[in-house]
Order: sequence, then structure tokens, then C-alpha cells
Amino acid sequence: MLNLINTSFDNCIKCTACTTRCPVAEANPDYPGPKQAGPDGERLRIKNPELYDEALKHCTNCKRCEVACPSGVHVGTVIQLAKAKHGGFKKGPREFMLSHTDLMGSLSSPAAPIVNTVTKLKPVKKLLDKTLGIDERRTLPKYTGQTFRSWFNKQSGTQEQFKRKISFFHGCFTNYNDPTVGKHLVSVLNAMNIGVSLMKKEKCCGVPLIANGFFDKARKNAELNMNQFARSLTETECVIATEPSCTMTLRDEYPEVLDVDNSDVKDRIFFAAAFIAREFARGNQPDMKPLKLRVAYHSPCHLIKAGGVIHTMELLSSIPGLEVIMLDQKCCGMSGTYGFKKENYNTSQSIGQGIFDQIEALGVDYVVTDCESCKMQVEMNTGHTVLHPLTLLAQSLT
Amino acid sequence: MKYNSIIIGGGLAGLTSAIRCAEAGLKTALISAGDSALTFASGSIDVLGIRQNNSLVQYPFEEISHLPSDHPYRKLGAAQVKQSLHFFTEQMAKAGIQMSSHGQQNHSRLTALGAIRPAWLSQPGTKALSIAAPAAGLRRVAIINIAGFRDFQPALVAAGMKKHPEFTGVEFTVADISAETIKIDARNAYELRSLEMARLLKRDLFSQPKGLTIFASAIQKAAGNADLVVLPSVLAVENGNELISQLEAHTGLPVCELATLPPSLPGMRMASALRQRYRELGGLLLEGDEVLSGYFDNNQLRSIKTRLNPSMPLEADHFVLATGSFFSRGLDSNPSSLTDKTFNLDVVETGQREQWSNERFLNGSQHGFSYFGIETSERFNPYQNGNAITNLYCAGGVLGGFNPVAEASAGGVAISTGWFAANQIIAHRSDSSGTAK
Repeated sequence: MLNLINTSFDNCIKCTACTTRCPVAEANPDYPGPKQAGPDGERLRIKNPELYDEALKHCTNCKRCEVACPSGVHVGTVIQLAKAKHGGFKKGPREFMLSHTDLMGSLSSPAAPIVNTVTKLKPVKKLLDKTLGIDERRTLPKYTGQTFRSWFNKQSGTQEQFKRKISFFHGCFTNYNDPTVGKHLVSVLNAMNIGVSLMKKEKCCGVPLIANGFFDKARKNAELNMNQFARSLTETECVIATEPSCTMTLRDEYPEVLDVDNSDVKDRIFFAAAFIAREFARGNQPDMKPLKLRVAYHSPCHLIKAGGVIHTMELLSSIPGLEVIMLDQKCCGMSGTYGFKKENYNTSQSIGQGIFDQIEALGVDYVVTDCESCKMQVEMNTGHTVLHPLTLLAQSLT
Repeated sequence: MKYNSIIIGGGLAGLTSAIRCAEAGLKTALISAGDSALTFASGSIDVLGIRQNNSLVQYPFEEISHLPSDHPYRKLGAAQVKQSLHFFTEQMAKAGIQMSSHGQQNHSRLTALGAIRPAWLSQPGTKALSIAAPAAGLRRVAIINIAGFRDFQPALVAAGMKKHPEFTGVEFTVADISAETIKIDARNAYELRSLEMARLLKRDLFSQPKGLTIFASAIQKAAGNADLVVLPSVLAVENGNELISQLEAHTGLPVCELATLPPSLPGMRMASALRQRYRELGGLLLEGDEVLSGYFDNNQLRSIKTRLNPSMPLEADHFVLATGSFFSRGLDSNPSSLTDKTFNLDVVETGQREQWSNERFLNGSQHGFSYFGIETSERFNPYQNGNAITNLYCAGGVLGGFNPVAEASAGGVAISTGWFAANQIIAHRSDSSGTAK
């Protein structure tokens, strides 16, 4: 059989629009930018793998290059695949810890109070910094004592009573770190007469694994998740997820980056806000009381990439009394596990500075965003509490 | 989800239209499939600069009545074209960029090849020269680059300028400023494009307290007593115009920046100013999505399906199609036909396939395809199989009947038709305000 090379990157017309929008290239001169790292470099790498450039490690996979590309080139994916193919990942214990979010969660959650106290201690943070390279200036995510799944199982009987049902892919953060958004999703959907059910089993969507080079593990997770989805969809309308990066990965990265076929279920995977906005448009909108708040909305990179901003804005604008100011659509710099790494700390902070300054200048009650990683970054760098849109929606239920 | 207006295309026409709609309080969404041609544009706006016989136009608005009757400007008339450009100038000013014009007259702007192009509006950093006598008042011109930056060749600019008879007798100085002189760590300056050079200068030079003074004295040294200093536009992405004026104050010399090979910083500046303005007005910007198809019913476009949310069509009362021409992928051609890629609307095309283009692409003569585009009514409504679609308007490069390059009219047509489309939508809404929500 002919071994055909995917040359779709050759649609690149070298306009450099991607590089103009790359947050890393703007902050870090060591990164030559997506045009050079992506389509330009790919032509060289095809010729001779020796021409692989180490600088690709700086890419955060934020996908802004793809959003900017007028020629439809999957610049970010080209870079991720090149890293995978040419071994451009350093996979040490730090990368393992940061990326195996479900494993770390299942170990830490039962001992949450201890883990949370310990990871706040300065000497511990110093130690993590020195031994693993997790920057000591970072606030580490807390774990929850009661996972979302165990909370959910206690009241799954209630969910059975609804005629309509959807499957919820909760993701690692909601399960092990902070179940708030999951709980709020359940109350919002229940108020719309829709029940929630969980997959029998779910694994991390794979976004941190891809970012840290654990492609085989990510592929295994993807296959398990797709099997679970197919099974669950025989009894529910669709699968929805609240985390933009998970949703993008389940829908788009499985076939594109991991080569896992999801064509049977892809059209039935929704970002939660998209599903709810569609229900609202069809008239299934719960009664809502006014929330007299002024909030700034930050749109996460992967939500922009997946085309979800329109739905979140629709939900926010349906809440009476809520004043929403849209921040400049810039990257916050956290990019999941990227910002935790010592060598990326300065770049990460410098990327987000514009957003932090804008937030501080606005004097709003809260910042709102859909992404847990953005939330961590904004809360650490501004004096503001960051809420999920579903939290506001849940608060507005009568 | 339902909008008052949905604008398809995030270039000059789309952004102008979207800003006008959002300003009037319409619930507006703008869908853009990647960055627009503004990233490569000069950052000046041409309205109408060159006649069919290649002579330069001095008074663009007066010239409109001499255009062929199917030209977009003829449908609008000079007064509306002028009004739209005033609107545009006002919006740019609100976004922080004061565009300037010479009253009703065109001016000349220099290009990075030393050519002279007519324009009507320019950013302050672009020194506007007189249209009739571009070399008036100039005796010595200094063209200065930062050593190693490859997308700007001072000798080439000078050679280009010397080709114009007006510049005979003008003395040209070409010079490079070295990285050491201005204390930047350029590593390999040959790898830098305009954008990277600007980022480097910001980091290493202009963020320093004395940065501007260091750069200004390097310019003074290289330029001597020139009465015009020409630089590549690489000094700053944001606030580039302010930087040029500070530089002028420091050196006491008139400074002109020229857009380089892509990316063009003045063009990027314009695009980001317009996007920012649109967002401030509460408009929703959907970047990186693309319209796949439309649902038409009773000669109206009811909803559109996009690549990222195919199962959730977007509805609107009115739509604007501003997807650009061939380069921006608004129009597409194959060996036998020409199509508008988005909705398959009726297009203007003339002559046999062999006559669509001239054999030699760059010999200066006009190509048939430049006039191709969507055919529209007097109110810029397109046709589908001969039927006008009355709630859809076309604007900018996707329109047929004009030649943006040969006429030097791309900017003005984009702005005026985009503005006109928005005005139609607004008027329609206030007509039916009794029923609208």
C-alpha cells in the first residue's frame, strides 16, 4: 500500500496571520511561532527528521493559530503530531504527575484534607519546585473529599424520574478537585425537566496527556470513552461536557490527533452551554430571577476554537439583571499543565498580564469563564473570584 | 438562536457593517473564517485612485459619476460614499487611530517598492504626500532599515522612487542601523519578520527609559539633514502611530513608516482597532468558524449552518455577505465556472473562459476576473436563480463590477457597501419597529 503523507499543511500561503495571534511567540522569543513550527517546519521534517526543531516544545496547543488561519490549516495539530512523531517531549515524573489527572485524583481525593494542607506549605512547594520543576509560585489545585461521582450516586434515583435524559462527561477536575460546576449543571438541567446520567466509567479526556506526550495512554482513554459514549447514548439524548478543553478533545482531537474514530457519536457530543442554549431557544427555559451583578467574561482558547463562545454568551444574556462585559479575547497563559512548569512560569504570566490588567481596571463583581484552568490563573493573579456560567445560571433559578 | 443581523466575513467590509449594526443597538454576530486581508493591507484606505487610462484621480468623489453604471459606487452615489467614509473615520478615531485625509483630495503614499499609490485616508505614521506633486518640498530623502531585516530593502525603495520623474533631483540616502547601535539582541535578524522585529524592539529597546532617545539619535545620525525619513513599519504593533510622532518630536525630522511584506503592522493595527470597537459596542465576534450553507425560503435567507455548530443553525432577520474575493476565498473558480463559495448566488462573469485572465499576470494590463463577483440589485441584494434575496446584502470584495486593484478602490468599496448594508438593515428595523422586539 502506498504510504501517503498528509500534505494538507501545504494549504499554508505563508501569510503569518497565525504568528500574529500566537500568545507564546509574543511573550517568548525562543519560540519561532506557529508558521515556522507548523507548516514551514513540516516540509523540512518530511525531508529529513533531523531537521526537527526543539523549539516546538514551547507550543501550548492553545489553537489560536488555527482560529486565525485564513487557509484552514490545522497548524496546532501539525505541531502536536510533529512533537509526537519526533519524540519532542520530555516525559519525566513531573510530566507524568501533571498529566495523569485521574490517577492523581483517585489517589489524592480520599486524603483531600491532608493533601490540600500539605500542598499549601511553603517548604513542600519549594521541594516540588526543586525536585520536579513545578513552580513554587503557583497555587496548586485543591482536591475534594467527596468526588462528584459519589455525590451523584447518592441522588441518582432522582435523575431516574425524568423522562428526558442526557449523559454527562464530568471530567477529572469536576470529579476530583471541585464538583461545584457538575452540581450546578444537574440543578439547571433538572429545572429544565432533563435528568442526568453518568457513563458507567469514564477516563480523562486526554488533553493533559496529549500536551505532555503520553499519546498511547491518551489513545487508550479515548477508545474507552468512545465505547462508553456509544453505550450510554442508547439510553440518553446526547453527551455533554462543561469543560471546553475536554469537549474540544472528545469531539475534534480524537480523530485529528489521536486517530480515534468518533464519527458515530461526534454529532451527539455537546458543550453544555450549547445544549442548554438550544433548549432555551426551543422554549425550554426555567423561570429565572434577576441577578444584579456586573461580571467580566473571559473566553477560553479552546472554547473559541470549538465555536462555543456564542452559546455561553447566549446563556449569560438570558439571566435577567446580569451585566456582562466581554474581555479582549486573549489567552490567560495557563494552558492546563503548561503554566505549572517552572521554565514556563514567566511566559505564562506575561501572556496573561493583559487580561489581569483589564480585569483589575474594570472593577466588576466577578469574573466568569468556562474553563477551570483559566479560573486558576485568573484567581491567582487578580483579586477576583471566578465563576462558571452555570453557577450564575444555577443562582438565578427560582 | 436568533440575531437581528449576522455578518459573514471579518474584513474591512464586514467589520464596518458589524460596527454600524452594533452601534445602532442591533443584536449582531460576526463570523470570520480566519484573519482577513487587512493583515496584509497598507493600513491606508483608497477610495478611487486610478482611471481606466491609468491617470491618477485627484478628486475621488467627483470621479464617481464617470464610472460605469454597474459599479458599486454608482449604486451608492458620491454623497453616500463620502458619508460612509466619515463614519469609518469617526469609528477609527473612537478606537484610537486618527486617520487623516486631504479634504476631498486623494494623497499619495509610498510603498516598500518605492511605488506611489493613491489613497484617501492614511494613518498618521504614513506621511501623506501630495497627489499632484508627490516630491513637492523634498530635497533629501533618507531610507533607513534595521540591519539584517530582510523584508525591507532601502536601495529598492530608492530605485523605485527614482523611476518617478517627480523625484529627479531628489537626493537619496540609504542606510542601516545596526543592532549594536540600538542595543537589541537580534540573534539572527534575518529570521525576523516585521511582527517579530516589533516585539524585539519593544522588549529590548522601547521598554527601556532611554530607548526612544537611543533610537532617535541613531535615526538622526543615519538620516543627516534629510527632509523625509522613511522607515519600515516594524517599530510597534500597538500604538505605532504614537511612536512615530514621538520619534518626530525627538529627531525634529518628518518620519514615514512603510508597510512591509506580510504581516503589515499598520494593517494589523487597523484590524484590531475595528475588532476592539465592535466588541466595545457589544457585538459578538465568532472567529475561526465558517458558513457551510444557508436555508433559503421565499426569497429570504432564514438561517445559516456553520462548520463548528452544524446542528445548531443561526437565525437572523438580515444577513451581510462580506467574504471577499478569490484571495479571501469568498469566490471560487474552476475550469468551467465561477461560484460564490458560501451560498451559490448568481455571479457576474463575462466572456469566454480563455478571456478571464491575460496570459501575462503582472504586465500591468487588466484581468477580466478582477471584475467578477456577485451580481446585486441597486440595494446590493444578490440573486439566486434570478430571484433577489431581499434580506441578504453583499459588501466588499465579493461584489462584481469593480476592479479593486486597477482602480485603487478596494478600501472605499468595502467600507461604503458594508456601511450601506448596515443602514438598510437599521432602516428596515425602524420601519417595522412596531413588531420588532
